[in-house]
Amino acid sequence: MTRRYPARDQVAIVGVGTTTFTRDSGRSELSLVVEAAQNAIKDAGLSKHDIDGLSGDILRNEILQSALGIPETGWSVSCLTAFNIQMTNAMMAVASGVCETVLVYHSMYRTPMLSASAAKDPYRRRAQTFIGTRRPQSHWPDSIAGEASVYAPWARKYFDTYKVRPEHLGYIAVNARNNARMNDHAAVRDPLTIDDYLKAPVLWDPLRMLDMEFPVDGADAFVVTTAERARDLPHRPVLIHAAVAGQTDRTAEENLRDVDHSSQAVVSRRLWDVSDLTLDDVDVYYPFDGFTITTLKWMEDIGYCGLGEAGDFLDDNWDPATERIVINGRVPVNSHGGNMSEGASQGSGHIREAVQQLRGDAGQRQVEGARVALVTPGGFFFTPGGLILRTPE
Amino acid sequence: MTADAACEEVFDRFRSEWIDRDNVEFYRGLLRRELLVNRCGDCAKWYQPPWPTCPYCWSRNVKPTEVNGNGVVETYTVAPKSEHALAVVSLAEQDDLRASGLIVGISPADVTIGMAVELVWLEREGNPVPAYRPASTNDGVNGSRPDMTRHRTTP
Repeated sequence: MTRRYPARDQVAIVGVGTTTFTRDSGRSELSLVVEAAQNAIKDAGLSKHDIDGLSGDILRNEILQSALGIPETGWSVSCLTAFNIQMTNAMMAVASGVCETVLVYHSMYRTPMLSASAAKDPYRRRAQTFIGTRRPQSHWPDSIAGEASVYAPWARKYFDTYKVRPEHLGYIAVNARNNARMNDHAAVRDPLTIDDYLKAPVLWDPLRMLDMEFPVDGADAFVVTTAERARDLPHRPVLIHAAVAGQTDRTAEENLRDVDHSSQAVVSRRLWDVSDLTLDDVDVYYPFDGFTITTLKWMEDIGYCGLGEAGDFLDDNWDPATERIVINGRVPVNSHGGNMSEGASQGSGHIREAVQQLRGDAGQRQVEGARVALVTPGGFFFTPGGLILRTPE
Repeated sequence: MTADAACEEVFDRFRSEWIDRDNVEFYRGLLRRELLVNRCGDCAKWYQPPWPTCPYCWSRNVKPTEVNGNGVVETYTVAPKSEHALAVVSLAEQDDLRASGLIVGISPADVTIGMAVELVWLEREGNPVPAYRPASTNDGVNGSRPDMTRHRTTP
């Protein structure tokens, strides 16, 4: 053996399922995948409750999870290739311990371009219209699914369920801005106070413009290698201590059970399941802040406070001198300014800043001696994840 | 007239929706002003979106079935400059069975979480659109579904 391959002999295929192969199934692509998936899971002697990972391609994994009613997964990907990387992805996920049992799937569906008879099927012609677009889940003509519209009603539900004041969301927006003011890379660095926040007009009731991320053009990239090789490279290595995802079967936006049972809660449980660290070890925290409500809820979901206690928690950890959130007097939150003020990165900016903090390269934002960073990109519905990054002792 | 509309007609009436064999009945139902939700013939559960098999028990014996349209407001928002609240409605048929739609016949400021609502039909670009309004106090909704065609706003 000339190369390391820790996954060797570590993962097995235990179930197979298929459908009939016909020229015209008269069925939807989803119904074919569902049938093959159910057959494979039954063949393995398992049930949907045993599946905690999804690896597929054209047919998006969150659609399949919802359709199969798989209660929760800890890892899921949809990629675009011939069929091989789907299996490799699954092997890596299982070998690494990110999840235990992956449903791997693939579908074939004749397109009108491929055959004259397929071109006669009006459903296939219609499907051509949607190639390259992400299939929505919510099918209601007036749906909350969308960008700002989707978090506003669930923010209201939180307000209705628990005691919070508008300034609690304001703390998150102002914290991001004051951190961004120490970050030359940030897109928005104008001063912002709680008063400014409260005066901002409500856009999608109850959310204000300042509750929403600031869209930008930009990119982030990372190089990942073995810990061993990293030791010989110029920078202080930043180790991925744990990386997980989490998703419930309630991925259609109107179907969230309640604010306490979102995909964020799944991420948290699975992240702490695979880490021997605790929140006490965390020096810097990067919760997702596409909307202020996701950040507020992450404080509860990741374990800094109990359900419904985020408002009180923010009151207790608000530093009036710097107008920033500083947890327990030492842990900054989105020290780079986050999506709110550095610019909306879907989480790559959060991970970049975590790496810079752990390298000791964060300039005036540097947390002295930062050794453990917690990052939780994503929100309530589908595809959120969690990472714990650390320095090598 | 649209009881058995061919799929091309459904496609033609709904230009931008992702319609396939699994959910076409939902759209046919809209054209008939019937709100259809999939119901499992084996475990009797209702579910949506209209996936091809029952997510609870995996039965293929599922049927798009008309709901009565009564429910309560689970939560809501108000779009910028909209005259109507946009709500998640929990339908009466089953705990946690959800729909989404506008709340008409009431100012957004008067909408509350937990408010009882009933189905009404709006008209938009020639298509019926399901929406909700505060439930009438007498139980006279069944059989006489009021038409709210004066709400022709397109949010």
